[in-house]
Amino acid sequence: MLTPRLITHATTAACALLAFGLASPQGARASSHQDAPLIVLDPAANTTDVYAFRSNHPNGEKYLTVALAVYPFEEPGVGPNKWNFDDKVLYQIHVATGDDLTAGRPTVSYSFRFKTFYKNTDTILQSYIGVVEHVADANQNLTQRYSVTKTTTAGSTTIFTNVPVPPNNQGLVTPFYNKDNNGNERAKEGATFPAALDRYTKEAIATNAQGYEVFAGQRDDGFYADIQSIFDLDFSFSGPNKSFDSQGGFNVHTIVLNIPLSQLGGSEQVAGIYVTTSRQQVRVLRDRSNGSGGTESGNFVQVGRQGNPLFCEAFVPIKAKDLYNETDPSQDATLFKKYALDPELATILGLPANLQTNRTDLAGIFIPDLIKVDLSTRPARLAGGTNPGAAPNDPGFNRLGIFGGGPNHAGGPAPDVLQSTFQTAFLNNGTLPGGWPNGRRFGDDVLDIAVLALLSDLRNPASPTLATAPADPGVDKVDHNDIGYNKTFPYAATAQNGRNHEHHQ
Amino acid sequence: MPPISFLPRRLFLSAAVLFAGLVIANGAELTKDQHVNADLFSAILAPASGHTALDDKIAKLQAKVKTTHKAEPIIVQLGWTFVAKARVTSDPGFYKLAELCAQAAESDVADDSDAMLLRGHIAHALHRFSEVEAIGRKLTSETRPGWESFALLGDGLMEQGKLVEAIEAYQRMVDIRPCMQTYARVAHIRWLKGDLEGATNLMTTAVEESSERDPEPAAWAYTRLATYQLQAGNMSGAARSLDRATDFLPDYPAALLVRAKLLVSHNKSAEALPILERAIQQSPLPEYQWMLADAAHVAGKKELETKTEDTIRLRGKSEDARSFSLFLASRHENTKLALALAQEELNKRRDAFTYDAVAWAALANGDAAQAQVNIEQALSEGTVDVRLFYHAGRIALANGEKKVAAERFARALPIKQMLLPSEQADLHEQLGRLPQSAATFPASTTDKQLAATGRN
Repeated sequence: MLTPRLITHATTAACALLAFGLASPQGARASSHQDAPLIVLDPAANTTDVYAFRSNHPNGEKYLTVALAVYPFEEPGVGPNKWNFDDKVLYQIHVATGDDLTAGRPTVSYSFRFKTFYKNTDTILQSYIGVVEHVADANQNLTQRYSVTKTTTAGSTTIFTNVPVPPNNQGLVTPFYNKDNNGNERAKEGATFPAALDRYTKEAIATNAQGYEVFAGQRDDGFYADIQSIFDLDFSFSGPNKSFDSQGGFNVHTIVLNIPLSQLGGSEQVAGIYVTTSRQQVRVLRDRSNGSGGTESGNFVQVGRQGNPLFCEAFVPIKAKDLYNETDPSQDATLFKKYALDPELATILGLPANLQTNRTDLAGIFIPDLIKVDLSTRPARLAGGTNPGAAPNDPGFNRLGIFGGGPNHAGGPAPDVLQSTFQTAFLNNGTLPGGWPNGRRFGDDVLDIAVLALLSDLRNPASPTLATAPADPGVDKVDHNDIGYNKTFPYAATAQNGRNHEHHQ
Repeated sequence: MPPISFLPRRLFLSAAVLFAGLVIANGAELTKDQHVNADLFSAILAPASGHTALDDKIAKLQAKVKTTHKAEPIIVQLGWTFVAKARVTSDPGFYKLAELCAQAAESDVADDSDAMLLRGHIAHALHRFSEVEAIGRKLTSETRPGWESFALLGDGLMEQGKLVEAIEAYQRMVDIRPCMQTYARVAHIRWLKGDLEGATNLMTTAVEESSERDPEPAAWAYTRLATYQLQAGNMSGAARSLDRATDFLPDYPAALLVRAKLLVSHNKSAEALPILERAIQQSPLPEYQWMLADAAHVAGKKELETKTEDTIRLRGKSEDARSFSLFLASRHENTKLALALAQEELNKRRDAFTYDAVAWAALANGDAAQAQVNIEQALSEGTVDVRLFYHAGRIALANGEKKVAAERFARALPIKQMLLPSEQADLHEQLGRLPQSAATFPASTTDKQLAATGRN
């Protein structure tokens, strides 16, 4: 037995910062939602997932849809005060095109800043005073509003101001999120056109003269996988209580931006997307010389970053995870390419020796760590849902993208692919995956795709091998989200009802 | 153009490969390298006795160390977990185990920065501040020093009273990483420099970033915020912050101590007693015992007061020499020992509070002149701390400086709730002895600062 009282308390006393740690490395807590030691301690700035895909507006406008989600594992209904965007965090979506794409630097950045207000502070009811009939009405006591600024080398312009964030889906006080507009029912799912969206979501979508669309608010966590088994080192993903969608029944806070392709210079190109979160530096000693009591000032410093799913989580080792979050993709080739070339995961999974090293194919996907989207294709096929009332998947949609379909996978008659109109030298005259790693859609089974990519060998274009996808329900035996996605902007599934939801289904 | 496409399938690998080769070795033998450090390993791998989540984590990491070939990162991780255990239990023995982990890791990988950081943190907890500084300087001279290295360096410098250098280190730290841990450190040094409002603002930001995943630092930050609020007279704010601290850790001793102070300030000393006893069960420090003894005195619990003071006398020196010195000097007991203990502490750290302890002990020994020198040193950084002002007033009185004494008592008066009941009583008694003209002193800058922090 340990006998820890080896010394007295003398050495623990009266030391000002005694109890305050250095946020020590906490070990392998890697998943899409628990990536690096420091950022997991800062959930408001902790990005869970990034999405980017080609879409079309019902009016025919072509878009690049990008989304970032923060706050892993929001328990619905624990109290709406707990989960809100952080006024002190700078949320940014970066898009790289042309030479910037290979360099890993943004061509255009969209910055989101939030402000939180209370309509009535003479009450203990911080968030809801009564049933919220409309977004930001008097009963939505705690209200957040945000602005969006677009920055290029030419300068910055504000493209949205004062956009309201809808209420979190608490239940009876937010009935219009839910089926039959009843706070006791499950959240509505799978809207196929704007008018079919729930009231709050509709009211929280803003558009501007350039054709941008934006939404920011609570959504269901669209990532699905059996993370529990992975961290339990059980790669059979079987046993009692399985299958197990670790994220099932949890919400996140999501920002979705629809960018008209005309704002990016047209469709005949590839765009790279990544997101960052930043917090503000401070001066240790405030300038109190003017007698005002001092002011806080300082630049924003990046504390979180994400591009492709699972790169930081499944490729970057613990010692480098915080560094990943603090650097930008322009440094990926120097700092992180080695982890894509020689992935430890391939060793852990016991892959053949030739697949454990020199994975230039994986480095091509992950380095620089931007989600690359060919903008010239038709819109990506969208996921819907399987629950009663949810819109079905688009015809031809496959959660595994190019790995889906065909004789070796029972998921569909053909792989889900798209055709590029300008990368014609590629493959079969420009055949691209329908989902990740050509963009990432809501509904892409990124864990299965990542494993299949590891098992494949695409280094030699003349003799490639593509891994066989196991029959549904696939690698981790979780093959769909627990709630149907919306198939219209903002695409992310409606937030789970705090009063009626179920975990891990 | 980055390759974004997959090629048509031609050859298929079986997904069964996924499930192959996943057998995790579970043998219990140490690696060859580990045998070299068998003694170290036998200590750090001894089975834990507790049943908390931290104990489970310790057990899992110990098992992992046994079965991993290159185990240094896991050993360091185990060390940090011992640190966490030490912080939660206030049992410094776990620091020793953590230090053994650092030694074990460094014996295999010389100058391993992760192990050095761990060792530096432990040295700080064990009050070896010059060692902390040395480690911090080494870590910050690396090619790409992390914020943790500057945090460690700043911590070591601050405890030694080297505030100018500490501020520089903390600035580098927060420039690299604005986060809860860095904001909280900056808040503390602002408080040391007398900026209570700035400290409160930033500690508020820090607690907003707190996470249930790491409850002890969150509880600590909320407790510090409560202390600032209590000092500002924002009693309801302090109570709310303490509620949050104990949401994270229900029996967090530091939070219980501030809760007791809050209750005593509301003349509820009897209610404070069981809270203090709970705190002392976990952290039997003289600071806590002294508060209990005082509260027991006010509540008329003579037996508890006597018993507690006897415990301080018995164990105070070994538990916390500086606080014990203050206790002895305040009671005019064994004043020579009080002075010796304070001076010994001054050899380790030359911060405001150690200078104050030396000054107070010097006064107790009748050396008011020496006390004056030391208390001026303690006040020189501008720290707004009630005990510094109270002691400074008493020392000024002893030197016949009634106006100075009145000025310093006047600075203590608005924040007297931070004093022990016995100290508060003495403060009022001393003020009563001063001529009326000297005792009425205009509101100081400090009071304006307090008003700005939202007292209610």
